[in-house]
Amino acid sequence: MGHSVASVAVPGRTIEQVDFALIGHQESWKAAADVLAVLRGPEHTPLPDDEIKDILPWIPPRAVCHVEIGSIVSTKIGGAKFKSRGLYIDSFIPPDRLEAAYVHENLACVRRAAACAINAGAKIVSLGGFSSILIEGNFDQLPERHGTVFTTGNTLTVAFIVQGIKKMCALEGRELRRSTLLIVGATGDVGSGCARCLAPKVRRVLLNARNLERLRRLAAELEAGGVEVEVATDLRQFSAEADIVICAASLASPSLLLGRIALHAIVCDAGYPKNLSPGAQMPGAKVFFGGLGQITGGLSFAPDFHGILNRHPFPDVVHGCLLEGMALALEGRYEPFSQGRGSITREHVEEIETIAARHGIYLAPLYNAEGPVEDAVGCQTEWPGGLSAGARGQVELTPPDLLPRAF
Amino acid sequence: MEPVIGLNSSAIECTSVSTSAPIWQDVLAQAITGELLAAMNYKSLAEICDNAEEAADALEHAENEHGHAAAFAAEGRKIGVNVTSNVEGMHWKRLREAFLRCIAERDFIGCLIVQEIMLESFAVASYARVAKVGPGSLGKTFARIAAEEEEHVDHAMAILRAERSLDTQRFDDKVYRLHLDVMTTLAKMLAKECKDGHCEVCHGSCVKPSLFQVSLSAAQLRGASLQQYLKTLDMLGLPGEVTLAWVTQLPV
Repeated sequence: MGHSVASVAVPGRTIEQVDFALIGHQESWKAAADVLAVLRGPEHTPLPDDEIKDILPWIPPRAVCHVEIGSIVSTKIGGAKFKSRGLYIDSFIPPDRLEAAYVHENLACVRRAAACAINAGAKIVSLGGFSSILIEGNFDQLPERHGTVFTTGNTLTVAFIVQGIKKMCALEGRELRRSTLLIVGATGDVGSGCARCLAPKVRRVLLNARNLERLRRLAAELEAGGVEVEVATDLRQFSAEADIVICAASLASPSLLLGRIALHAIVCDAGYPKNLSPGAQMPGAKVFFGGLGQITGGLSFAPDFHGILNRHPFPDVVHGCLLEGMALALEGRYEPFSQGRGSITREHVEEIETIAARHGIYLAPLYNAEGPVEDAVGCQTEWPGGLSAGARGQVELTPPDLLPRAF
Repeated sequence: MEPVIGLNSSAIECTSVSTSAPIWQDVLAQAITGELLAAMNYKSLAEICDNAEEAADALEHAENEHGHAAAFAAEGRKIGVNVTSNVEGMHWKRLREAFLRCIAERDFIGCLIVQEIMLESFAVASYARVAKVGPGSLGKTFARIAAEEEEHVDHAMAILRAERSLDTQRFDDKVYRLHLDVMTTLAKMLAKECKDGHCEVCHGSCVKPSLFQVSLSAAQLRGASLQQYLKTLDMLGLPGEVTLAWVTQLPV
């Protein structure tokens, strides 16, 4: 049986109720194949790879599924937990076209996806992955909006990257204040946000990006705060070895070679798609995927895309950029929180991570291409105001919940 | 196969016979067959219209489609090929039968859904692709007819939107039922390989493997057609996540 309209509509749900929309795309053909397999249903054989590559580029951006997120906060009347409902809209940018050469057609895809969100009546829209890179600072290029606000979601991504670095340092017994931090893609929205948050906490900062002028401007801003900064457009030019690295390059660069990094350096790959290939030559480096958060108040998809749209080895893990829109929706704050163009400040980061934590959205357990990098039980993350995640009511995850999902 | 009206070759109109002429011959044969089928469908539709004005509109559309077929035939003559059509060809016959089932039920809305939403999506998108690569006047004719077919769709959209607003669930269920019937056939027609045998329209072996020689491909024509179909359903207001599932379930 196929999907009739009735079989896809969620019983008891008013289709028109759309608090948030998440605009995303698949980062690999495997991921795209899995999405199409769910849509085809178990009664149909999966499409062959060549057919997927033929079909996907023609699919107009559209909603793929309904999403519901639960808060850990209860309503005053009735005591039920807050919930927020939305849509996941895929821009269907083909995974092999995430390059500068396709920027105009990809921008058109994101614009059409944005139009879908507006037409659906979404109150807030998070721009996931490449979508935010394309739209960042160009919000005026979005279709005419009627009460719909857009956020790049980058502020919460920064928050989770920073938390991940701190957590990894704690796990590895490193002292952040004695570390040399390298940020690749430092002048981007995420990279510069990370720099502002972490620069005051480390010994030295190495900033890398393609635009030297922007690098110098960021360096001057950080140096004004008393931070030792070095800039370079070529990773080989730095005078010092980095022992903490954040990869936040805006374009797909899976063959990125980090060059001068210390043995056993902590490396956060925060790119989407990933900046580093699994086979990158970094002997002894402690690599983890950054910018990810975990929802503890419940996450559901209709149709069920669990483990397909969020392909992580832990349950209910989602990219920070998408979580930002969901957290703001739970908070009832429908505002363009992250506008891009390097405007993320430490204060903004603290504000959004407080909002997220209030609704049970925390840093996800750390993992990399080989699996979990930590024993997630017992690790606590520091939150603004000195409270730990546990103290703010984080739901305890039992060991079985933390086992990698099969996908 | 029956010859298309007015297809007698004229040596005067032949401008060139290129190596790609046999490919264009088959592309034109499919287009002419589709136009003749559309003309037949509109004539049938006129017979079930309660309203005289609607019946006149349907007959006018039938005439237009005949004119399109004649224009495509003329393009064949210009490149020195005799284009034949076959509305009894395997796939086209099934499409006609699906339409006639709506006629038998006197289902005016069903007829519009089949002809304007499904068959015209295919025509508009595939003609537009051919127009981009078709040589000289052949390309221009495809472009002109694609634009005219799009106008047909616009006309029908207003009627269909109004109908959907009366009972959304019933309307969407009807679209799905017709989708299973008609779009399954169209998807088989547009598949990269003809798994059900010869289509009975191409003059020799299947033209699809040769399309690359004129900068076309079966995959491209299918992709463009399904994209147009999804966009048309979007304009009608059907939920995008639902129609996407429908399309991904079509045979390949």
